[in-house]
Amino acid sequence: MIRFVFVQPDGSEVPVSATEGDSIMKVAVDNGVDGIRADCNGSAACATCHAFFAQELLCELTPMHEHENDLLDFAATDRQPGSRLSCQVIVSRCLEGQKVKLPDTQ
Amino acid sequence: MKPPPVLSDVTIEELAKNPYPTFDRIRSMASAVWVDSARIHLVTRFDDIMTVERNHHLFASTNPGSLMNKVMGHSLMRKDDEPHKLERAAVEPSFRPGVVKQHWAPRFRSIANDLINQFEADGETDLFSSFAAPMASLSLIDLLGFEDVAWEDIAWWSQALMDGVGNYQADPEISNRARRASAAIDQAIDHVLARHVETENPSILSSMAHAGHKHSREQIRANIKVIVGGGLNEPRDAILTTVLGLLQNPEQLAQAQANEKLFARAFEESVRWISPIGMYPRRVTQDTVLGDTRLKAEDQLGICVGAANRDTGHFEQPDSFDLNRTASRHLGFGAGPHFCAGTWVARQMVGEIAVPILFNRLTNLRLQAGNSPILRGWVFRGPIALPVRWDR
Repeated sequence: MIRFVFVQPDGSEVPVSATEGDSIMKVAVDNGVDGIRADCNGSAACATCHAFFAQELLCELTPMHEHENDLLDFAATDRQPGSRLSCQVIVSRCLEGQKVKLPDTQ
Repeated sequence: MKPPPVLSDVTIEELAKNPYPTFDRIRSMASAVWVDSARIHLVTRFDDIMTVERNHHLFASTNPGSLMNKVMGHSLMRKDDEPHKLERAAVEPSFRPGVVKQHWAPRFRSIANDLINQFEADGETDLFSSFAAPMASLSLIDLLGFEDVAWEDIAWWSQALMDGVGNYQADPEISNRARRASAAIDQAIDHVLARHVETENPSILSSMAHAGHKHSREQIRANIKVIVGGGLNEPRDAILTTVLGLLQNPEQLAQAQANEKLFARAFEESVRWISPIGMYPRRVTQDTVLGDTRLKAEDQLGICVGAANRDTGHFEQPDSFDLNRTASRHLGFGAGPHFCAGTWVARQMVGEIAVPILFNRLTNLRLQAGNSPILRGWVFRGPIALPVRWDR
């Protein structure tokens, strides 16, 4: 299991244990973490599972495809350098102990 | 845990006229209710529908007996998992929000302005036939990559296919019309496919022709027919419903006219208020439980997002149109893997272009006194007439 923390917009933290290979979105939904809507349940169609990752982590995460890149420009909360759609990011070792921040709105 | 209760005193005509009282009744009865006249179990609660859409192994879209497969061929709408994913990914490049904004929006804007030019001097019109239907049809012709197709033709193809998909009574006249529409669409595809293969462009036919997953001609035909059937009435109806919601609530219209960004909110709210796709089917794959109801393998479910979008557990005063509501999450575009692929096209076409342009250009746009709008449908629902007047 990989342990990391979701950080809500108000700063509160939700620690989770995740299985490698699951998406970050699935981990959030399975753990009832508020702030991830995931309307399309991982199809990269709705842009409602937006999350912010530490920039130095980005190169180690699942690579971003053009489709996700396009959708992120239209997320309800403005895109930042660490923005990803969490349904497209797979849990891996590099996330151990990391913080995944959630936006104000999805 | 109980089996689905039965509702036997509701007619299809009642549902078509106004489904919401029946939806409320069903929602208060159980998680799934067998409705005799519709011959299907209706699911109307918001949370149950989220459960269904997060468990497509229990609640599948694949359906061997589907009328849709007979009428249109085996499209991505009736597939799950990898086969669905591959065909869905193939059309996505045409539907990306960035592509919509940069490529399709200017085209939609020009269609909207041209249409308004044709009736602007009249001072009154029925927005269904003069604006919403041609707006949605002409936009769809461009999106698909069709050429030399009249908007009236694609509009009747779409209607004939949808009638065919709902032809549970096996009326030979309806089947025959659906077959003719299907053949006409095959011809329209054949007319342009070589060009799209040769030159990559943002149209849907080009995206399919250049997809990583090589499509057979049958796959292209079936998926184009789904988009013709499903991509026309929704934006058409959403344009009309958004206009209706704003005209019936002048203080909200004033708000939107003062801040044009609110037209996009009005569109989202209209899709919640009167969802253009009110119901779609799913099939139970094994004996299971949904909410408070026991279901059996092969039970057919009608997922009523039109009802879930008025669930009082999720929306205050759900029957009112209110673009200021804070809980904005709705199921108008569905949920899960089959989440509407055209969402971003519709947002742009309706909320950013068609509706604001209409209100900008037609001064003091208002409903016609004594000539009320007519709404109809429950599987698909929208205004079938929206007579309006403005100052010349």
